[in-house]
Amino acid sequence: MATMSLRAVTHRLTTTPVQQLPPIASFLATSLSDCGELLSAPQNQKTGKSDSDNAIQIHKLKTRLGSLLQDRSFEGRWTGVVLVKATVEAGQWEVLRGCEPLVRSLIAILAKQDPVTTKKMCIITLTRIFHLTYQYPTLVREITTPSLPGFITSILNLVSVKPSSEPIRKLRPSTPFLEIALHVILELIARHPTTFRPFSAQIHSLLQAIIGSTSPTYPKPVMELAQRLFISLHNCAPKNAAGDEWRNANLLTISSIHRTSDYVFRSIIEQWESVDPNLRQAAAPQDYTQEVGDDGPDPLGLSGWRGIHSGVDRILALLRLLSTFFSTPTASAVSIPVGQILDLTSRLTSVIVPNESGGVQANSQISREERESLWTELPRIHAACMKLLVSAMNALETGTMSVAQTILEQATWVFRAEKFSRKVRVSMYNLVRSLLPIVGPSMTKQAVSSLTDLFQTCCVDLLPPADDTNPSAGSSTDAKGKSKANQVAVNADSFLNSGKQVRQVKQGPLFPELKRAASELLPIILTYVPTELLVPSLRGEIDRKIILTADKNAMISSVLNPLPAARGRGAGSSIIPFLARSYADEMEVEGLIRPRMPVLMSTPDLNGNVVVDEDEDEDEDMSVSAYQPTTQSTGFLRTSPPSAALSSQTTSVETFQTSTPAPSLNKRVYEEPTPQAPVAQPAEKKEDAQVKRARFEDDTIAAPTKPSLAKESPATFTGTAAIPVEQSSVTTTSTPQSVQTAAPFPKPVPATTPVKISAANETEESDDEMPTLNMEPDTDDDDDEEMDG
Amino acid sequence: MLSECFIASTLTSGKAPASASLRDVGICLQEFQPAPALRSTFKKSSTAANCLAVSPSHVFAAQSEKAIVHVYSREKGNQEAIVPFPERIRSLAVAGGRNGDILVLGTEGGRLILWETCTGRQVATTASHLQPVTSLVVDRASNFIVSGSSDASVHVWSLASILSFIKPPSGRDRQQPNSPIRTFSNHRAAITSIALGHSAGRYNIAVSTAKDSTAVAWDYHTGRVLRTFLLPSSATCVTLDPVDRAFYVGYEDGSVQGIEFYKNQSAQHPLHDPSLQSTPVQPSAADRWLPPSSDTGAVESLALSYDGTILLTGQRNGKVLSWNVARRKYATIVADYTHPVTNLSMLPLNGLPHPPLELTRIAHTIIKPRYDQALSESSVNPGAVPADYAFQTRLLPSSKDTPKPKTKTDPFSEALSHAFFPDSMMEEGLAELAALNQGQQQQSPSTVHSTQALEDTTAKDTQITALEAELSTLKKKATASETARQTTTDEVTKLRSDLIHLQGYINELHQKQEQTQREKVQRQARKEKREMKRRDAWFAAEKKGRNGDAVVKKMDLDDGAQTSDSDDQSSE
Repeated sequence: MATMSLRAVTHRLTTTPVQQLPPIASFLATSLSDCGELLSAPQNQKTGKSDSDNAIQIHKLKTRLGSLLQDRSFEGRWTGVVLVKATVEAGQWEVLRGCEPLVRSLIAILAKQDPVTTKKMCIITLTRIFHLTYQYPTLVREITTPSLPGFITSILNLVSVKPSSEPIRKLRPSTPFLEIALHVILELIARHPTTFRPFSAQIHSLLQAIIGSTSPTYPKPVMELAQRLFISLHNCAPKNAAGDEWRNANLLTISSIHRTSDYVFRSIIEQWESVDPNLRQAAAPQDYTQEVGDDGPDPLGLSGWRGIHSGVDRILALLRLLSTFFSTPTASAVSIPVGQILDLTSRLTSVIVPNESGGVQANSQISREERESLWTELPRIHAACMKLLVSAMNALETGTMSVAQTILEQATWVFRAEKFSRKVRVSMYNLVRSLLPIVGPSMTKQAVSSLTDLFQTCCVDLLPPADDTNPSAGSSTDAKGKSKANQVAVNADSFLNSGKQVRQVKQGPLFPELKRAASELLPIILTYVPTELLVPSLRGEIDRKIILTADKNAMISSVLNPLPAARGRGAGSSIIPFLARSYADEMEVEGLIRPRMPVLMSTPDLNGNVVVDEDEDEDEDMSVSAYQPTTQSTGFLRTSPPSAALSSQTTSVETFQTSTPAPSLNKRVYEEPTPQAPVAQPAEKKEDAQVKRARFEDDTIAAPTKPSLAKESPATFTGTAAIPVEQSSVTTTSTPQSVQTAAPFPKPVPATTPVKISAANETEESDDEMPTLNMEPDTDDDDDEEMDG
Repeated sequence: MLSECFIASTLTSGKAPASASLRDVGICLQEFQPAPALRSTFKKSSTAANCLAVSPSHVFAAQSEKAIVHVYSREKGNQEAIVPFPERIRSLAVAGGRNGDILVLGTEGGRLILWETCTGRQVATTASHLQPVTSLVVDRASNFIVSGSSDASVHVWSLASILSFIKPPSGRDRQQPNSPIRTFSNHRAAITSIALGHSAGRYNIAVSTAKDSTAVAWDYHTGRVLRTFLLPSSATCVTLDPVDRAFYVGYEDGSVQGIEFYKNQSAQHPLHDPSLQSTPVQPSAADRWLPPSSDTGAVESLALSYDGTILLTGQRNGKVLSWNVARRKYATIVADYTHPVTNLSMLPLNGLPHPPLELTRIAHTIIKPRYDQALSESSVNPGAVPADYAFQTRLLPSSKDTPKPKTKTDPFSEALSHAFFPDSMMEEGLAELAALNQGQQQQSPSTVHSTQALEDTTAKDTQITALEAELSTLKKKATASETARQTTTDEVTKLRSDLIHLQGYINELHQKQEQTQREKVQRQARKEKREMKRRDAWFAAEKKGRNGDAVVKKMDLDDGAQTSDSDDQSSE
């Protein structure tokens, strides 16, 4: 089949007039990529007739492709490029090794007057070829290394002009190739650093122009690519200097930001003091008569700017560049100046929008207008700061443990003053989302309460309160603003149809980014912040929002981290019914509600099914809370165990000696039969002969002891009944429990074991029911304890 | 191919190893599945129990009876550093999740030392243990450290708050900074080993064993006892099932025991069933899994295979035994290292994708602890992060960090890995070609040029610049030729004037020549006249009869004067 389609392709390719090739190019390319097996089959081992036929077809195809690439018409070259890419992808090494002439004619196309897409595809094809050859050193030597410099030059020529012999290039205005050129260089630079080394200065000069552009900025993807490429340039550094190069670029970026903020923040007197002694020197004197701006090239070599908006734009671009440092792979080990970055963010976040009472020292030499425009620009800077911190945390993960607290303090400080800004809120949610897994579980009550405001705002953002009767709950500005705007209308309309009004509130502009950030934060809060430290009202609010948004992940995390039952309230409430109603078909929910984990090892003899109810967690929490009031008692137990143990030892010895074996057996039976049960079960299913024999023995032993077993089962019941009693009061606890801790006494053990083994088979059923029996007394004694407390 | 390896370390004993390849070797990287084989070794190390820690890039081994830690690079397979500490190190653990770049050290004096191997920062805690810290574990999410000591207490520490630069205000304080957040003191004798459950959540468990022959399962988030196990004898080491369904302990006599948490049909998780929590469980001694022979010595260390079905034990006689968990019995000998195998550390499976374990960065080398004042405490502004706090690492390209842009706005990467080109790009190209064609069919080349110029501004730009350059060169050429022409015409006129001049000169010369001609003729005529005269005079004299010659002579004399005159005249 493949042979046929290959023949068909070559036939059509050779017979169709060139002008009509483009419309069928897509089809031909698909057929070619389906012939991948043939194209990639090694050619030297052609034995059969069909193989040699294939070889002829492949040869035909290759010659045709070569001639298409050099065709006189646009159509021919376009088709050629498309089919070359398809052939290379399909044929891999077999095609690659002979593609050097193709590469040459592809590069030649770049210099011709071809349409934009032809050139773009041509660039992509070449990049792909270089990409694919990378894993074969011989091909790299034969194809990539010789032709790469020419390729780089022609790409650079597409986007820029080289006016002089100096290694500096000027960007062409509005070239359609800029984005793809940056992509390509970024893609190749890390793999062929030495080939790129001669071009690194030229590329650098281009990137400076892109990154430093303030008034007509480049589109965001271009900007991002330029930043990543700027950082990747360190790959070109000589062997061992790459790390230093990286660090240098990083430090220069930081000092560029410092310099720009010197100008931008000139209208106020900053309180911040650097931890770096080099930065403590006063900033350069400024001309206060002029509009704020920077003329000269800054440490990074970027051009000047004028006006506070451009200045803030510059800071944002540099902050983004700094974040990109964290997400771009490096050539070798680098040293990330965490201290200086945090110093920088502490400077930027220490200036916040003042509240009514003021609190910021103004520089009286600067006009009020400039100061006020700075206030409106501040949230942008702070949002970018938080993004920088997020990217640092994502890159270093647990490495940021030492600075996580610092970051959190900087962020909450900003949030308190600027939560009116949607941007700040979004970035704050993202930041807290990456912070909580690190600092959350060991948070103190104060730390949690300092974040309560944030959590509440998050709830509001997720779902603004629908009715404006309680706008106080929503501290977010958009909710407020809307309610104000409504009040004008309320006069007339609210009395007429309040139902419509609710709909109106929902019809505001949508902020999907904000919603997403908020809904991603909620499960993290529930999972990582100790549940008992969350204020119950907040927890209720969170649960309410979760139910209303029907967010599955958040619902699951709420169920998995149940609210601890408060004293005086009944069992802890759970939103699991809502989860079960909305997502009954989901696997997670099924697994949560009806677990069927083979509880024990993958051995057939041990798969007892345990129905672990979802109540488990709640019960446990109930017990937590139940225990909390009586921590004193457990503490007492803990602190006074030596004496208790001593006394219990004596008592147990006494009981053992004085009483009949039956009572001591009771205690033992209560815990012992169960371990044996699984051993007995296998006998039925598995071929395990040994176990079977053991069972026989058991039976024989069991026979005589049967009567005692009959007596035992009621005894176990009394035993379990005793337990609630011992838990219910502190005073009684000490003795029975200590008896049990003392039970490990070595001597009684051997005496009782055979009996227990035999007991296993018989008492199994009664044991099974025990836990269910326990359930009731459990809750009872909880209540008892609560009464006590 | 999948393979499973473990790292074992030994405590040097007097015995000499059987094979030469094991001489001097203290740490072995051994493959045990599919086929047992010694992969690599690190030399010159002797570690006590709980003194080996393995991170993705390095192996740390605290030397027994010494205050130093050996650091081996797993990448290079050599010893990278020897790091001295002020106290003897009795236990080690690696924290920091999958990167493992925080080393926790338990000292002889009962304090913990935390060393950030990527920054060189080192933080010590209070000496809350009264005796050496003998076992250390860090939970899965790297939030808590659980440390056990010979003084029978177990402390729970918060990793984040110990490391944090900002310390909580110690105003009405209950605690000094860097002290444990919780203490668990249910054991009556020295703690031998601790294992933590595999959950990252709040209901994770800890199992600790002590020399009082107990093992306690407890909740380290609250300190609550979940179950007490009265073991037949004192356990030396403990490990937990990957699903936390059971735990395994090793005993002094070389035997092993697996103890399951789930035993009966319970409506609750048995560990969290309050009615069972206060009742100790007593696994029977007969239940133990016995070693093949009695000379194996005590079980020094335990490890479970990835799938939890094979238990490995390091024995005091230097053997590593494997046990079949399902059959609850000894299976085979995996390796023999002669010296007591004090630590066993399983490595994640090779060849199995671990998306959550994929490293985004790697530390090639560690930064030794720095003792300079700058990093420890900055006195100027407390709580601030010092400026020279730098993190040494290599950021790796990760596959998962840019899934969003790829799906959304990155046609380039899509096109790059496409079988040929994505449809959108093909259609764009076809449209462009069609537009070109239409332009061509419509009319004259001028329209073609215009349409082409419209869609391809850059080409136009280049054309314009090229044309401009051409124009300027042409102009230059023109001026050059202009000047050249100027000079030639000047030359011509000059030549012409020269010519005229020359003609004048020629005329002059002609005139002179004519004059001389005339003079010559005149002289000729004069000469002939004189000749005639003389002849006439001779003839006359002859006629007269006088000597003609004399007359002629006389005349000649006269003539001489005359001719000289005439000569002078002619010469003029």
